[in-house]
Amino acid sequence: MVDVTQTKQSAPKKLYKVGRHHHDYRLRPNGTQEWSRARLPFTRRHWLKWRGINNPRTLTRERVLVDKKPLWWTLSLGALLIVTPFLPNAMINVAAIFCMYAAINVLWTLIIGTAGIFSLATLAVVGMAGYAAAAANVYLGVPWPLMFAIGPVVGLLIGGILALPSTRLDGLYYALLTMGVAEICRIFVTQLRPLAPTNGSINKVGSFIPEDWFLQREGLLLGFAGAFVLLLGALLVFRLVNSERLGLLLRAAKTGREDEAFSEACGIDFRRARMQVFLISSAALGVCGAFYAMYYRSISPSVFSLDQLLLLFAMMVIGGLGRSEGAVLGAAIVILIDKGFVELGPLRIMLVALIMGGVTIFAHEGLTGARQQFRNFRNRKKSERRAVRTEKGGEVMPEEATEIADKQEIYYRRFNKRLRDELKTYITPELIEEHRQAPLGRHSDTLERVLNYFRRGEVPDKYAILRVDGSMDRFRILAFSGERGAPPRVVDDKEYQTLSEAYHAVFLLRVNDLLES
Amino acid sequence: MDLSTLVYGLNLAAIYGLMAIGISILWSSVGMINMAHGATFAVSGYAAWLASTAMKPVIAAAFGKTLLASLATAGVVVGVALIAGALMGALIYLLAFLPIHDKPNFAVRSLIVTLAINIATVQALLFFFGPRSRGLPKIFGFGRLEIFGVSIRYDQAGTILCTAVLLLVVLEWLRHSRKGLEICAMMQNPEGAALSGVSVRFTALPIMMVTGALAGMAAALLSQTIFVSPTAGAIPLIKGLTIALLGGLGSVPGAVLGALLIGFLEAFTGVIPFLGQRYVMFIQFAFIITVLVIRPRGLGGLLDDTRE
Amino acid sequence: MPETARTETHELLEIRRLTAGYGPLRVLHEVDLTVKAGERIGLVGLNGHGKSTLFRAITHLVGWQQGSIRLDGREIGGTRSLGAGRRTSGIVRLGVAMAPQGDAIFPGLTVRQHLDCGAYPRTAWRERRTRRERILEIFPPLRALQDSLVGKLSGGERRMVSLGRMLMVEAELYLIDEPSLGLAPKISRAVMDAVWSLPTEGRAMIIAEQNVSLLSGRVDRIIGMHAGRMRGEVGHVALS
Repeated sequence: MVDVTQTKQSAPKKLYKVGRHHHDYRLRPNGTQEWSRARLPFTRRHWLKWRGINNPRTLTRERVLVDKKPLWWTLSLGALLIVTPFLPNAMINVAAIFCMYAAINVLWTLIIGTAGIFSLATLAVVGMAGYAAAAANVYLGVPWPLMFAIGPVVGLLIGGILALPSTRLDGLYYALLTMGVAEICRIFVTQLRPLAPTNGSINKVGSFIPEDWFLQREGLLLGFAGAFVLLLGALLVFRLVNSERLGLLLRAAKTGREDEAFSEACGIDFRRARMQVFLISSAALGVCGAFYAMYYRSISPSVFSLDQLLLLFAMMVIGGLGRSEGAVLGAAIVILIDKGFVELGPLRIMLVALIMGGVTIFAHEGLTGARQQFRNFRNRKKSERRAVRTEKGGEVMPEEATEIADKQEIYYRRFNKRLRDELKTYITPELIEEHRQAPLGRHSDTLERVLNYFRRGEVPDKYAILRVDGSMDRFRILAFSGERGAPPRVVDDKEYQTLSEAYHAVFLLRVNDLLES
Repeated sequence: MDLSTLVYGLNLAAIYGLMAIGISILWSSVGMINMAHGATFAVSGYAAWLASTAMKPVIAAAFGKTLLASLATAGVVVGVALIAGALMGALIYLLAFLPIHDKPNFAVRSLIVTLAINIATVQALLFFFGPRSRGLPKIFGFGRLEIFGVSIRYDQAGTILCTAVLLLVVLEWLRHSRKGLEICAMMQNPEGAALSGVSVRFTALPIMMVTGALAGMAAALLSQTIFVSPTAGAIPLIKGLTIALLGGLGSVPGAVLGALLIGFLEAFTGVIPFLGQRYVMFIQFAFIITVLVIRPRGLGGLLDDTRE
Repeated sequence: MPETARTETHELLEIRRLTAGYGPLRVLHEVDLTVKAGERIGLVGLNGHGKSTLFRAITHLVGWQQGSIRLDGREIGGTRSLGAGRRTSGIVRLGVAMAPQGDAIFPGLTVRQHLDCGAYPRTAWRERRTRRERILEIFPPLRALQDSLVGKLSGGERRMVSLGRMLMVEAELYLIDEPSLGLAPKISRAVMDAVWSLPTEGRAMIIAEQNVSLLSGRVDRIIGMHAGRMRGEVGHVALS
C-alpha cells in the first residue's frame, strides 16, 4: 500500500522575494468624492501625472504619482534659486556660469540625443552668434535688447550651413566636419582685423547689467538671475521639442540604420524632423551666445577652444547622453570640481577625465541612468536564477505565480508534478514485465495507478492503435493531433502482429514519456 | 615649387600615415576609435627621451663619438619608443576595451573612455614633466644626400625609409601569420570570425600593441623636427584621425593614399606665399570635407571590404 | 519490440525554456530541445519562424531574454542579452561548429586562407595541410579554386567553403543552417551528400532545412518550428 498523502522529506525551502515592482508611495483619497485635477491654463495638460489605481487586496482607491521628475526639477532648481543670493560673490559667479553651461548642454543634448546628430560645433555657433551680436552692439550701435534678436538669427544661419552636409555624412564623419567648421570659425574671427582689433576680442559690450553694477554684487545677482532665466528657457525649448511632435517622430529613428529604414517605411520624414530640431537648437544656442557676450561684457576667441568643448562634452557624458537632467547634473558636477578644487591645478581636468572614463565604463547611460541600469541588472539576474531552478513542467515559481491570473492553475501544476514524481518511482522492470504478460485484465495496485494516469492524458499527442487495412494481424501506433481536421501522426513504422503487443508498445512509449518529463 | 617640398610632403605623409593606419586597422577589426592615440604618441616620446638621457653616458663610455654611438642611440630611441607605444596600447586595451567590449554602445563608449584617457594622460604628463618641450637626439645625424638632383636631409630620408620598412613588416605579418589571418578575418566579417573561433578579446590585444608601436615610431620620427611635449600628440592624432576617415575607415590602402595627399597638401600650402603655415589646418579640413561630401565613405570604398 | 529501458546516451545539448530575440523583439518562445550524442536532427519550418534564430541563440550571436542552454552538462552563458557575438568564440571553442545562413565568408581572403582560419586549435593548425586535403576530397570543386578570393566565387562554391571551414575542426555539435538554400538541385545534392558522409560517432548534428524531402530517411528526428515554438515531431500519415 502506498500512501500518496505522505509528503516528501525535503530540506527547509528557501523563500524568495516575489514581485518586481518597486515601492510606490500612494495617497488614499476619499473614494466617495469627485476627483479634481488642475490643468495648465489654456491647454488640456495636467500639471502632474497622477494615476488612480484600484488596490485588489484592500479594495480601496489609491492615487500614485507616476512621473516624479517634475518634483526633482522643482526641488533642485528651487534650491539653487533660493540659496544663491546668500552666497559670497565668487560663488554667485560660479552659479551663473553653471546656469549658462547647463543651458548650452541642454540644447546640445537636443542635437545629439533627440536628433541623433553628433555635432561638435556647438561652441562655434555660440561664439559666432556672440561675436555677431557684440559687433552689432559695439560697432553699429544696436541697443542691447536687440542683441537677443541678432543672436538667434546668426545661430540659425550657421545652423543652416552646418545642417546641409548632415544628410550626406553621419556619425564620426559628421563630427569631424563640425570640428573643422569650428576651427574655421576661430581662424575667421582672429584674422578679421576690423572685427576685433585687440587680439580677437570685442570689449565694452552693452548689457542688461548696468555699467556701474558690473562686477559688483548687484550686477552679479542680476547676471545670475538672467542666467537662471536662460536655463529655464533652454529647458522649456528642450521640453517643447523632445516631448512633443518632433521628438516623438525622431524616437523611432534614433538608433542605427534599420530603425531609420523602418521609420521611413512608416512614412516619418525623419530627415526633415532632424533638420528642424537642429535649426531650432542652433537658434537657441544663438540666444545663449548673445547672453554670453552680455554677461561678460566682452567676447574673446577662447570661446572656440577645444578644451572648453571637451569640458562641455564631459559634462554631458557624466550626466548621461540624451537626457536633459543628465546635462544639468553633469554640468553641476564638473563645475563643482573645476571651481571647487582650484588648488589642484591641472589635476582638476585629470579628475574630470577620470570620472568621465569611469562613468562610461560602469554606467551605460551616465549617472542619471544608473538607477534603471541597476534595476535591469537585478531583473536579469533574477530571471537567470529562475531559469536554472525551473524544471520542465515543474512547480510554478513564485515570481511567475504572481503573474498567473487563475491560481487554480498553479495548484494543478503542483499536483501533477508531485504525482509524476511519485509514479516515476513505481516504474520498475517487474512492472513492465507484468504489463507485458497481461496488457488487459487484472493488474496490481501500482500498475493500476500508473495506467490510470496514462488514461487520463490529454488528447493531443495521445497514442492510439491503428488496425492497418482492417486486417487482424497488422497494427500500428499513432498519436492524435488534438486539432480538428488534422490527421493523427505516425509515431514509427513498426508493425505489430497482435493487439497485446501493440498495447504493450503503447505502454512503453507512455512510460518513456513519463520518465522524460 | 621644387622637389624638396615633395620630399617634405612625403616625410609628413609617412608620419601621419603611421598614425592613420593604426586608427584604421583598430576601427575595422575591433570597432573602436582610439582617441588616446595622441597620448600614446606623447608617452612614447617622453619614454624615448628618458631612455636616451639615461643611456647617453653609458653609450658615450662604450662607443665614444663614433658611428656606432649614434647607431646605438638610434637603436635606443626607436626601440624604447616602439616598446613604450606597445605598452601604452596594452594599457588602453585594459582600460578601454576589456571592461566594455561586450556591453551595448561599445563604439561611442570606447571613444569617450579613450578621450578621457587622452586628457588624463596629457594632464599627468604636464604635471610630471612640465610644459617645456624636450629634444630627442638626432637619430640620423645632420647632413644631406643628393638623389636625382634633389637635396634630402638625412632625417627625412631616414623617416621615409623606416616607415616604409615598418609598414611592410606589419603588412606581411598581417598576411602570413596566424594572428594576422585572424585579424584580417575580423576586419572582413566579424560574425564569420567569431564562428571560426577567433576571440575578439584575445586578438584585440596584439592589434592594440602593434598600433601603439606604430604611434611610438611616429613619435620617434616626428621628434626629429618637433620637440617632445605633453600636447605633442594632439595634432598628429587629429591628422591621423582625419586621414583615416578620408581614406575610409578600415581601408589600409585608402589610409596610405590619404596620408600621401594630406602630406603633399600640407607641404605645398606652407610654400604658397600668401597662405603660409597659419592656413594649413584650414585648407586640410576644407579638402577633407569636400572629399567626404562627394564620397561619404572615403577614398578606400571599394578597394577592400570595410566595416560600416 | 521497442527497447524497454533508456540506453545511457550522452546528452550533448539541452535547451530549456529558451526565449530569445533581437532587442525587444522575441522570436523564440520557451523552446525546449534535447540532443543526444550520435543523433542527427532535422529542424524544419517556414522562413522566419525561428530556425536560424535558434542556431544563433545557441552560439550567442543573438541575445537571450530567458532560459538556459547546457552543452555537455555545462551551462553556456546566462541570459545576458548584451554583447551578443562576443561570447561566440568561446562557445565555438567548447565544441560547437556552425555554418550559418549567408555563409559568413571573408570576401578578401582565399579559399586556402578560409580553411586555415577554421583550424583554430593548435593541433588542427599544425595538421592543417592534411585536414585541408581531406576537405578537398569531400568537396572536389574547391581544389582548383584554392587561391581564388572567396568574394568572387559562386553561391555553391561559397557554401562548400563555409562547410569546409566548419569541418576543419572536430566539433561535438554541428549546426548547419539551410545547406541547400539558393543552390541548384545538382549542387545541393552534392552538398547534402557531403553532409551525410560526416561521422556521427559521439557527435550530434542539427540541420535546418525548409525542404523536408532532403532530410527524410537520413535523420533520426525531424522537429518542426512554428512561430518560434517547437511543434513536436512532424511526419506524414501513410494510410495506404
